[in-house]
Amino acid sequence: MQITVLAGLNSKFGELWDISPRDLVKEVFHGTLKNSNMNKNDIDVVFVGNMLAGTLGGQNHLGAFFAEELGLERPAIRVEGACCSGGLAVHSAVLGISSGIYQTALVIGVEKMTDHKPEKVAEALMGAGSDLERDAGASFPALYALIARAHMEKYGTSEEEMAAVAVKNHYHASLNSHAQFRNPISIEKVLKSPMIASPLKLLDCSPISDGASALILSSKSKALSLKKDDPGVNIVSSVVATDTLGLSERKDLTTLNAVVTASCKAYKMANIDPGDIDVAEVHDCFTIAEIIAMEDLGFFPRGQAGKAILEGKTRLGGRPVVNTSGGLKAAGHPVGATGVKQIVEIYQQLMGVSGKKQVKNAKIGLTHNVGGSGATAVIHILKRG
Amino acid sequence: MTISPVKIWRNQKKVRAFLGKTGRIITWTKVHVPPCSFTSQAPYVIIVVEIDKNLRFTAQLVDWEETNLKTGQTVKAILRKTRDPGLEGVIPYGIKFKPI
Repeated sequence: MQITVLAGLNSKFGELWDISPRDLVKEVFHGTLKNSNMNKNDIDVVFVGNMLAGTLGGQNHLGAFFAEELGLERPAIRVEGACCSGGLAVHSAVLGISSGIYQTALVIGVEKMTDHKPEKVAEALMGAGSDLERDAGASFPALYALIARAHMEKYGTSEEEMAAVAVKNHYHASLNSHAQFRNPISIEKVLKSPMIASPLKLLDCSPISDGASALILSSKSKALSLKKDDPGVNIVSSVVATDTLGLSERKDLTTLNAVVTASCKAYKMANIDPGDIDVAEVHDCFTIAEIIAMEDLGFFPRGQAGKAILEGKTRLGGRPVVNTSGGLKAAGHPVGATGVKQIVEIYQQLMGVSGKKQVKNAKIGLTHNVGGSGATAVIHILKRG
Repeated sequence: MTISPVKIWRNQKKVRAFLGKTGRIITWTKVHVPPCSFTSQAPYVIIVVEIDKNLRFTAQLVDWEETNLKTGQTVKAILRKTRDPGLEGVIPYGIKFKPI
């Protein structure tokens, strides 16, 4: 499978009270279109990744909503899968192009969360959990706290190791002009931040954010007809897997089965091993999630990832470099945008245009986008040339 | 978010089957920052309980002391109000656990 990324762009992520979702999407669309050297009429279809516009904003019909806003009289489809809505929108575009029905697709990821009070957003996000979890008042931090405690007891993972994820991602975000939090932090600061759901503290958690991301994807043949001398960046794997909605239906809480299943298939599809990945954007909605991602993706043996992160093995200069954007933790987590943003970040890394956060000679990159507490996982692998 | 009274009525039929069951805590967390509908209960404890090899349950733990907050603690399923009643005024009841 070869789908070419023609262009991709992220808006600034953060508390963007003066910008509406319409304006966020318009900004990233026009910027992406300009970078792709294409005409609006070249776009055959629009996929919109979003989770909360219906629950929080009262607008569910986002395909038509943004098609109208962007002046695109084209098929337009909204895709939802909790926090991996963006990744699923990219996957849907890949399917559409692979089918031969569409040649060129616009993928939008967007979320507007900070217009609403945090308790309301926390409740809306619980829509991704099981009935039992919602009845128990299990917020998202609570679900990942249950996972964190299980991982700590089984492998001896420490709160310092979890804190090291946030410290690394804040450092990377300090090099990203579009990130929500660009302030460096220390392990001590994470450990002393207020408790949210024990053992997770405020600085173990990704923030509530606004933001939008856009991608233009096309079939390789169409891309070749446009850019004769540049092989560009291609998506070589796009895999989705699902697991049970709730934690109590799972045998092991220290791994996300959907990620293991999807990543194994993705490596096979790309004909590579985990060791071939130069740079990865992973779903660090909570610091424990990045530790488990490192193990589920096969980057480190079980129980070893926390230590490796603490030693700086996944920081700029290490390998694989993880979350050069700052991840969800520090770049921000507008949930519908995140999965699209991850592809944009890897695309920029493989094109060599990432500036201060550039990973030297990055040739192969991976994105890991997770919905709920692991019920859906979307893995993409991208290659230069 | 208000829950439909019909849904409350439908779900309460399932509750009876779990009352009185015992199990062990697999993992737990104490929630300090609650979502809407749970603000009056915070801080509260959520546990995953293993009732038997093939049955686990996620619910709140009530009547606890700090010494009960550990994996392996035995607990028993009881009936409790689960969240603040919405505008419909129907009080949702469901399963919570207490240490034994």
